[in-house]
Amino acid sequence: MSGWQNSPPADDWTIDELMIARLADCFADGDQACNGMASFVPVSAFWLARLTHAPDLVWLAGAVGLEPRPDRVPASTLEAPLWRDSIMYVEQYGDFWNFALNGRWLTKFCVGAAQLDRYGNGNNSVIGADYHNPRVRLPGTAGLGDMGSIGKALYYWNPNHNPRSLVEKVDFVSCAGYLGGGSERADAGLEGGPELVITNLCVLDFHPDTRHMQVASLHPGVTFEQVQEATGFELPAPEGQLPTTALPTAEQVRLIRDVIDPDNMRRREFGG
Amino acid sequence: MSAEKLSTLEDAAALVRDGDTVAIQNMATQAAPMALVRELIRQGRRDLGVVCLVGGISVDWLAAAGAMNRLIGAAVSMEQFGLCQRYRKAVEAGAIRVEELSETALNARLGAGARNLPFLPTRGLIGTDLIDVNDNLLMLDDPFGGPSVVACKALVPDVALVHAHKADRFGNIGYEPTALWPDLGIMPKAATTVIVTAEEIVDSEVLRANPDRTVLPGFMVDAVVEAPFGAHPTSFSPRYGYDTAMHLEWIGAARDDEAVAGFMEKYVTGPADHAAYLEIVGGTERQAALTDWEAS
Repeated sequence: MSGWQNSPPADDWTIDELMIARLADCFADGDQACNGMASFVPVSAFWLARLTHAPDLVWLAGAVGLEPRPDRVPASTLEAPLWRDSIMYVEQYGDFWNFALNGRWLTKFCVGAAQLDRYGNGNNSVIGADYHNPRVRLPGTAGLGDMGSIGKALYYWNPNHNPRSLVEKVDFVSCAGYLGGGSERADAGLEGGPELVITNLCVLDFHPDTRHMQVASLHPGVTFEQVQEATGFELPAPEGQLPTTALPTAEQVRLIRDVIDPDNMRRREFGG
Repeated sequence: MSAEKLSTLEDAAALVRDGDTVAIQNMATQAAPMALVRELIRQGRRDLGVVCLVGGISVDWLAAAGAMNRLIGAAVSMEQFGLCQRYRKAVEAGAIRVEELSETALNARLGAGARNLPFLPTRGLIGTDLIDVNDNLLMLDDPFGGPSVVACKALVPDVALVHAHKADRFGNIGYEPTALWPDLGIMPKAATTVIVTAEEIVDSEVLRANPDRTVLPGFMVDAVVEAPFGAHPTSFSPRYGYDTAMHLEWIGAARDDEAVAGFMEKYVTGPADHAAYLEIVGGTERQAALTDWEAS
């Protein structure tokens, strides 16, 4: 665990490791984090943060197991091997929401969505214009429909940045972002909202007034034009040179590969 | 003296009638009362409404069998094994109507049902389209002057199906040390009829040794059935993991109507009873392998 502070940028890294390192930055000592299903990137990020800058980040694995000690990232992020050696089991359905709805705890939440629009609204419900006669039935909102509306800071991760996943307008809002932009979210009485979108091409955030998604940094070797090409709506033109996303350090890469996820479960999110 | 609740899978499943709304304990790959689900399909049940937090292979099999025409739940997915394709096709064909709720909204609907209230509120879902497409959700002004909430209409399922580790013949239900998972806390309390399968039927003295692990009292349970590996192919912590090979076989079959028919005949409608099913899926050797989580 030693030496993470002084570790140089990795010269051998992959995009999953970069995304995990940047998502890990969003979590600090004093935060509580929880994960849902098929969440290999968030799980790896929480674990990485705990091994480096945030040893006191509380992790509630699968919204069930408090402070778990899994052997490695397992094939499921919602099964018992993830919450091995937990110090407490929280009853997922009832008691978990008592903590999450309270407002004091679990104030940050990682979200994966099939569609995400320019104002950070997410869709995991249906593709098509008619909810009752969908062209494609998606899995459903699960806890996202709650997390978007109860004051959480939302961190989207998207390993497949393309015009089908980042769209002008979601077909259906199943996770509330900034709604129609501007003050609409606040006007609806909702606090919190989307903070960041970390994709395989760049990091995006939201303009403080318009709440429109904008590029915050480009991953190494990626141009703004490439990001625009892969995005289903017009991104605000950058003012000046966009920063380059920080690389994971050599130590972060080692921890991810050797300690956290030696079976490369995280690659499943990248079609690997 | 308590009433005897011991039953057979056949008789217990017969308590479910065509058209019933059936709450099923379920997570993506976990803890589903699969022996009961198979028996419902074998008995040819039709027009069921399935209530679940996260439906998995149970919902996909019920959809494949044409046993259900509506779903009330927060998600349907087999996580690492992907979307439930037969369910998805049935929804897209208009054969299954979906009432999609967030987790807190489902909890509120069931909670209101359990407590004999007209509704319970949630702060979830505000700003989403899910409220607009659902007559059971309504924005409501806070009578005390605070921010608006979403009123979630009471839901009383006709039947709840649950799988547990231990039960005595009076219907007291014991859980072994594991995450309480996922719907045990509210679904049985909301439902009119409760059916429980258990890994083993034990003497009441076994439950008395650890009353803190008794999760449902016998007075609210209508039938208990012994069904070892009764959650297979889903996992049932801490006893056994999910059956990866069988999930993969199913998602392979689910692409093709003929393969689905063959799969259902082989595993669901074909076996004469639960014991025959367990033999067909690999018998004691396979069961022993599944108890090793890492290898399952």
